[in-house]
Amino acid sequence: MIHPDDPDDLDPVMARERTRLAWIRTALAFAALGGAVLKTNVAAGLTVLAMAPLIWLTGRLSRNSAAGKSRPGQLALITLAVTAVALVVLAIVLLGHGKSLGFHPPLRRQR
Amino acid sequence: MTGATGPDEDHPGSGAGDKGTEPDARFTFANERTFLAWSRTALALVVAGLGIVQLLPPFPGVPWGRHLIGVPLIVLGAIVAPAGYAEWAANQRALRRGEPVPRSWLPAILTVTITSIALVSAVVLLLSAIR
Repeated sequence: MIHPDDPDDLDPVMARERTRLAWIRTALAFAALGGAVLKTNVAAGLTVLAMAPLIWLTGRLSRNSAAGKSRPGQLALITLAVTAVALVVLAIVLLGHGKSLGFHPPLRRQR
Repeated sequence: MTGATGPDEDHPGSGAGDKGTEPDARFTFANERTFLAWSRTALALVVAGLGIVQLLPPFPGVPWGRHLIGVPLIVLGAIVAPAGYAEWAANQRALRRGEPVPRSWLPAILTVTITSIALVSAVVLLLSAIR
C-alpha cells in the first residue's frame, strides 16, 4: 500500500483500479449503444440502456470480492448480454429492411 | 468501499475443480481487462453496423449497400463476444497451470473481416458513383 506503483508489489491496488475502470468503460459502451438503438427502437433501446448500470454494478461487486480470483459466472453473463444485444440489433436491422425498401422507391423514381 | 482491502490471505484450491493453482492476482485482473476490451470491441462493431444501416443516407442506385456493409459488422460483433469469453477461459486455464497463454485467433478474424468490409464499401461506393 505504500508503493502501489511498485511492479513487485504483491497487493495489486493499481491492477484492481485499472480493472474497475475497464468495467466502467464497458458500462459506458452499453449506454452508448443503448442511445443509438433508442433512435430506431425505443423498447430495445431502453432495455440496453437499463443494462448499463447493471454492468457497472457487476464490476463493483467483483471489486469488493476477494482480490484477484477469477469469476467465470459474471463474465459469462456479460458475454451473454453482449451477444443478445448484438442479435437484437441484427433483428432490428434485418426487419427494418422491408420498411426502408418501401421508403426508397419514391427516391429512386425522382432521378 | 472505505479502505476495505478485502481478505488478503491466499485462497488455495478455490478453483471450480480446475487443476493448477490460483495465478497472481495481477494476471487474473489483466486477463479480465482483456476480456472486457473484447466485449467493448464487440459493442463498438454492433453500434457501427447499426449506425451505417440506420443513420447513413442510402447509396444512390445501390439500395442494399448499407446492409451489405452494416450487417457483417453486427454479425462480427455477435461472434467476437463469445470468442472473447472462450479466450479468457483458455488464458485463465493456462495461467492456473503455469503454461504459456494460447495463441489468439481474434486479431486475425477481426483483420480479415474488417479488410473485407472496407473493400466491399469501396465497391459499393464505386457502383453508386457509376450509376
